[in-house]
Amino acid sequence: MASLKRSLDSDSLAANISSKIYVRSTKSGKVQKIVREVYLRQDIPCSSRLCQTCPKSAPSDASGKLIPFVLSEAPAGTSSFPQGHYLVPDTNAFLTAMDLFEQDSAFYDVIVPQIVLEELRNRSLPLYNRLISLTKSEDKRFYVFFNEFRLETHVARQEGETVNDRNDRAVRKTVAWYAKHLAGTKAKKVPAVVMLSNDRDNLRKAKQEGIHAFSLAEYVKQLKDGEKLLDMIPDAEDRDDVKDKRPGDSLYPEYFSMSKMMTGVKNGLLHQGIFNVSPYNYLEGSIRVPAFPKALIILGRENINRSVDGDLVVVEVLPKDQWKEPSTQVIEEDAITKNENPDADDAEDVVSAKERKALQEEVKRTHSKTTEGHAQPTARVVGVIKRNWRQYVGHIDQSSVSQSAQQGRKQDTVFVIPMDKKIPKIRLRTRQVAELLGKRILVTIDAWDRSSRNPVGHFVRDLGELETKQAETEALLLEYDVQYRPFPKTVLDCLPKEGHDWRVPQDTNDPGWKDREDLRHLLICSIDPIGCQDIDDALHSRPLPNGNFEVGVHIADVSHFVKPNNAMDTEASIRATSVYLVDKRIDMLPMLLGTDLCSLKPYVERYAFSVIWELTPDANIVSAKFTKSVIKSREAFSYEQAQLRVDDDSQQDDLTKSIRTLMALSKKLKQKRLDAGALSLSSPEVKVQMESETSDPIDVKTKVLLDTMSLVEEFMLLANTSVAGRIYEAFPQTAILRRHGAPPKTNFDELANQLKVKKGLDLSVESSRALADSLDRCVDPKEPFFNTLIRIMATRCMMSAEYFCSGTQAYPEFRHYGLASEIYTHFTSPIRRYADLVAHRQLAAAIEYEPVHPSVRSRGKLEAVCKNINVRHRNAQLAGRASIAYYVGQALRGKATEEDGFVMKIFSNGFVVLVPRFGIESLIRLRDLAEVEPQAAFDAETYTLTTSGSRDVKVELFQKVRVKVTDQKDETTGKRGVKMELVKTY
Amino acid sequence: MPLDTSTYNLALLRVDGRRWNELRRINAQIRTQAAADGSSYLEMGHTKVMCVVTGPSEPGPRRGGVVGSAGGAGGGGGQSKDAEVVVNIVIAGFSSVDRKRRGRGDKRTLEMQSTVANALAASLHIHLFPHSQINVSLHVLSQDGSLLAALINAATLACVDAGIPMTDYVAACTAGSTSTYAANDESADPLLDMNHQEEQELPGLTVATMGDSDRVVALVCESRVQISRLEGMLVVGVDGCKQVREILDRVVREKGRRMIDEGTVEKGTGLNDMDVD
Ligand SMILES: [Zn+2]
Repeated sequence: MASLKRSLDSDSLAANISSKIYVRSTKSGKVQKIVREVYLRQDIPCSSRLCQTCPKSAPSDASGKLIPFVLSEAPAGTSSFPQGHYLVPDTNAFLTAMDLFEQDSAFYDVIVPQIVLEELRNRSLPLYNRLISLTKSEDKRFYVFFNEFRLETHVARQEGETVNDRNDRAVRKTVAWYAKHLAGTKAKKVPAVVMLSNDRDNLRKAKQEGIHAFSLAEYVKQLKDGEKLLDMIPDAEDRDDVKDKRPGDSLYPEYFSMSKMMTGVKNGLLHQGIFNVSPYNYLEGSIRVPAFPKALIILGRENINRSVDGDLVVVEVLPKDQWKEPSTQVIEEDAITKNENPDADDAEDVVSAKERKALQEEVKRTHSKTTEGHAQPTARVVGVIKRNWRQYVGHIDQSSVSQSAQQGRKQDTVFVIPMDKKIPKIRLRTRQVAELLGKRILVTIDAWDRSSRNPVGHFVRDLGELETKQAETEALLLEYDVQYRPFPKTVLDCLPKEGHDWRVPQDTNDPGWKDREDLRHLLICSIDPIGCQDIDDALHSRPLPNGNFEVGVHIADVSHFVKPNNAMDTEASIRATSVYLVDKRIDMLPMLLGTDLCSLKPYVERYAFSVIWELTPDANIVSAKFTKSVIKSREAFSYEQAQLRVDDDSQQDDLTKSIRTLMALSKKLKQKRLDAGALSLSSPEVKVQMESETSDPIDVKTKVLLDTMSLVEEFMLLANTSVAGRIYEAFPQTAILRRHGAPPKTNFDELANQLKVKKGLDLSVESSRALADSLDRCVDPKEPFFNTLIRIMATRCMMSAEYFCSGTQAYPEFRHYGLASEIYTHFTSPIRRYADLVAHRQLAAAIEYEPVHPSVRSRGKLEAVCKNINVRHRNAQLAGRASIAYYVGQALRGKATEEDGFVMKIFSNGFVVLVPRFGIESLIRLRDLAEVEPQAAFDAETYTLTTSGSRDVKVELFQKVRVKVTDQKDETTGKRGVKMELVKTY
Repeated sequence: MPLDTSTYNLALLRVDGRRWNELRRINAQIRTQAAADGSSYLEMGHTKVMCVVTGPSEPGPRRGGVVGSAGGAGGGGGQSKDAEVVVNIVIAGFSSVDRKRRGRGDKRTLEMQSTVANALAASLHIHLFPHSQINVSLHVLSQDGSLLAALINAATLACVDAGIPMTDYVAACTAGSTSTYAANDESADPLLDMNHQEEQELPGLTVATMGDSDRVVALVCESRVQISRLEGMLVVGVDGCKQVREILDRVVREKGRRMIDEGTVEKGTGLNDMDVD
């Protein structure tokens, strides 16, 4: 009887096959054991250009192409290695100082062991991606050495050895192999192979084994100009000191273990969600969890327990007697912790005496309340699943700098105040205090230990003097993660060779004309804001013999120029949207396309993607047609020009008549939308006027609404809706659509109560129609702006609209709440939005103009695209707003004006006023009211704040007030902003 | 967790250290169960399968305890002049990481049964055994990609062991491509013999050929892939099948040699063309 022998024994290759066993836990909490084979080999090259042996066995791909060797034959030297050297960093080095490796001045010829890449990928995907792009850069010469697959460098885990120790050993083995291998090359100057690590144990073992090894700091000191780089390294010793501290020194509660949290979440005893900090109170956060309809509040430093805005955390609900109301007080970090010493971490308690007092007052006030029903479920953070730390823009807090540091180069610990108020102050050790004071700087957070009151970070880059246009603009772009670097060559290579000389081919037999309709005879025009260069859309209309109208919306045919998956497309999909700042536009696509070849400029022929309807005089759709086309716009109007033309009865030419037709139809379309329950929402919009020469802001104007704007908007909505239906029909699983969820009713609770108490008005939120109607009823006959104010506040209760892939939602969820449309997408701005470009490709495939490209049908890929564009879209909006706020501040610089404003939020120690003229809102604190802070009584039931003592005023919600607006540099954020003083109440 | 397939281009190495054109270790034995007419055990990497063949025999109540086999019938109808190849696949719950149990009516299993049956019927001389049945029973012990290929190879070996006349070995393997469908990379390298992780992340196909020839007897592609990449994949796959055939052939000859050494078979009987040294 034959027995099944263990087959490995009989295999001569057995020695070269190893297996790897690891355990992973799935989302549902199951633990899986995975066994993988590893094939060991000897033909993995060292990739050094000095080597003569490796090229002989170097692998080639299926087409016989070899991978070029990257490590230089004459690498740079340092003071210890004048002969030149290659670097081998361990995982820890990349985790702590990736910025360092991206420097231009040093860190060339780097060998990245495969195990390091693997570990980095498990620890941080963003860092992994940055490292991958370093390995792709030709000048940095980073080489990934697959040590785990090379016979000589493969390391098996020993009995009792931890995974980390084994991986460290694998890195050291790689270093040792390289050193030996290179010594065999008989080169004149054999480069040293140097390991970089911040792990003491690893360094010690390396020294024992006779390997060159340095900590990052030791290494950087050997470099020319190393001093400056030192600041970019989180201090290893610093952190080790902290570790050595007695356990009693911990300021924060310890985090639960990961398994304890996972079990807790699974049992429903703990909850997981994204931590958000209140914009008005840095000691208050909230977290939305699936288990409860309303957000849980997290109050106080100890409960927040080192969470930073955006982190994915796990919380535990506190016993009911510890539940609190959300704070009605404004608490700003700088005001309370102003004079803290960044070095003094020996404070007895995490909550400073002042903070404690502020909280006590808060608690007292809550407890003195008779109405108990207001307390909300309160929670504390017990652990962090995933940090959402990024790079932060900020400036050094002047008051945290010691005198000696301002002069010398001594290392000093200072506080950096991030521009984003929700981020706590960051402790930073630097030798360049004197140079960095008064500058905008970029920093990152490295760690936040239990024993440290504030997170510890390191310096990344200097952006320039505070308040210079360049530094502030860059700060803004960094803060909102906008890709603003010039387009790389690979992207520009995708542009048409003819450049600006590109023309629509004259010969209609040219392949470019294939399946395109010739619409050059139509009287098409575009209507856009003044000075618009990237003209996405143009329109036409003409009467039909049957009394109906033909209306066409023509959109720039961007998908003709941007082919899927080339470098330009990839770049555009990452950028996702153009970003409009007051004085700068960061394009999604290169200028040549955006402002010329795609732009539907007047008097020239352009490729377009047209939607053409037959509409009845009542604006009902008889039919819709989609076609690629060639058009010739007759005129590019500004909104104002078009409006004048429509209003001027003496103009009776065909073009003007067609605009009038469009105008009449658009009004009917709008009425239909409103009847269906579309909301007319509002946000304070202003326009900054610049002096054309210096581009300094000179004035701020509220945007005027013209009928022509609504004309264009209506037809764009119509086009978007029609296209959405068509691509969904063609691709039920993968159409790219845009939805706007109905807001949870509870979002409006506060606003509804405020309206009821203050104005006796009812807000009904059952449906968008009901909401629209009740918003229409929110009028104050004496105050025309009141209605707008309520609309602004209602807008903030809404969900934000999002792109999604149709297969991920059920049809009823497609609904766009704000537009009251069953289905919607973005089609009309492909020059500046990537989603529109995808919709173009899908529509082109749907009408069989071109074959379906896999990237527009792959659901996984589309979901990733949607996720990215949702984030980018939001960031672009925020960046745009921040830019306006900055310029409004600049325009007001040195001026003081009195304006009317409205109270839109009220706290026990201050209130927020919105000034419509500038579209800005600002907090007025009690202590801003008079020299000596007045006494105040706050009635939360009636939203009234009454002050007495040094000044007597009564401030109520929705009240109209007169304020003096001046500019002021905010010491906290270093932003120039607006300061308001209360002049009088009406 | 190790890296994923996207790092291939860094050093032309796959997730398990192989090059694009390398098979995994293949290990096989025949006559593993003396009681059966034919049997085999085969490993392709961590994919491990066992096969038992009974027959050709009278149809009717199935022999070998394969009760109510819903196996796909190959070779054109049970009651015809040709023998019927009935394949039954049992996938052990412990064979994959997620330990999912598959019921008897599982669609994928049914499909594999039918593919294996058709592939075998192309080589077996079923016309020699009218009105009879060949039962092929396959057991999957461990799964790590290229399952269908492993099943076909194991079934071929077991049929050889059962002494059923056949034209040539039916050898199978998988071929894939180093970049995803959505990446639309025309120049992606083809891949030979995909493991589980590669099957999860990349497009691939299973191909079986008749021995040394380029005659394809089974071709299954369940993932989406650009037509332009298909040719390269197929070339690599067919080449892989030839390598697999060599390995299967070696296993059979090795076994034959040992049987002669052990005296199980008399030298010269039916193995006259075999070189015993
Ligand atoms: Zn070498």
